[in-house]
Amino acid sequence: MAARPPNMKLYSYCMVEELNSVDTQIRGISDAPVRLLNVDDLGVLVSDSPSDTVPITRDNAFAHAAVIRSVLDRTTPLPFRFGTLVTEQQLTSYISSRKPALQTNFAAVRNCVEMSVKIIWQLPMAQAPDTQPLTQGVGTTFLAQKRRELAGDERRSAQAEEIATWLKETVTGLTRDERVTVRPAQKLVLSAAHLVERPAVPEYREKLATARQARPELHFLLSGPWPPYSFANIELEFKTQFGVS
Amino acid sequence: MADPEIETSHVEEFVEQLRCVTDTLPSRINIDAQSVEQGLAKLVLTLIEFIRRLLEKQAVRRMEGGDLSPEQIEELGLALMKLEAKLQELKVQFGLADEDLNLDLGPIGRLI
Repeated sequence: MAARPPNMKLYSYCMVEELNSVDTQIRGISDAPVRLLNVDDLGVLVSDSPSDTVPITRDNAFAHAAVIRSVLDRTTPLPFRFGTLVTEQQLTSYISSRKPALQTNFAAVRNCVEMSVKIIWQLPMAQAPDTQPLTQGVGTTFLAQKRRELAGDERRSAQAEEIATWLKETVTGLTRDERVTVRPAQKLVLSAAHLVERPAVPEYREKLATARQARPELHFLLSGPWPPYSFANIELEFKTQFGVS
Repeated sequence: MADPEIETSHVEEFVEQLRCVTDTLPSRINIDAQSVEQGLAKLVLTLIEFIRRLLEKQAVRRMEGGDLSPEQIEELGLALMKLEAKLQELKVQFGLADEDLNLDLGPIGRLI
């Protein structure tokens, strides 16, 4: 087998701990074989990349996710962002210099998976305009209209926050951490990522299934288990190298 | 651990909403004079829109607080109305829609 050039880029999928091997059948970006690179007691799933950029394609996105997913049964990985290309030397230096922080990250997600909840609501109706006195000027009418719009925004925000609080209470005790985005002006009003310990996943699903019955006005999408994409906190360490076509 | 499951009774609705989200992400970066000019206009107009909304809120608060005379309310309303119209004009000029005037601030959400 020919030796790899020292500056050849490695496509990095995720970091892992306590893993000795990877599934030899799994293929990565551009159908490349995936291997486990051991650095300082931590592992990184990588594949050789002949190119300096990664085209953003459906196949590449699925390949990236499939490699990370392939180890989820055995360990909880810390996923890199799509498009992370580095040299082996950069990777080694990164891991050696950040080892304590990486170990903290691993401890935060260990034995957990990410569950996702998305909620769609019917946007609350806007308030009907007040009857304006005939003598009122154009500027005053404009401000009165803005006042009604702001009141509507505040009402929507309060209702959206109520949904977020309700969801939080529903899964209390079953999550280790959460990332919640509330968008009162959008139909997709809430997106939540919950970090759930593996043994608690069935109970988490059950709780949500029951809770959903109590809120027929809301539409739910529950998905998972996923690798802890929202909790990895290593995605900004390297610049991603997207292809521009 | 089982494969990921997706549970919903409203598939089409979620597909539509998630497509709206992905449509706001750039699929590629065009570095040409026209797109750079539009990108700069988008950034500047977003910041102006953000400040305009703050001014509107402040004006409404002062109106509700009762510390403005009817003449002052009228004058303030007219000024803000003109500012809104001017911004609308600039958006058209640079080919920008209302939803373009926003910034994704990552984990803390969107600016507006």
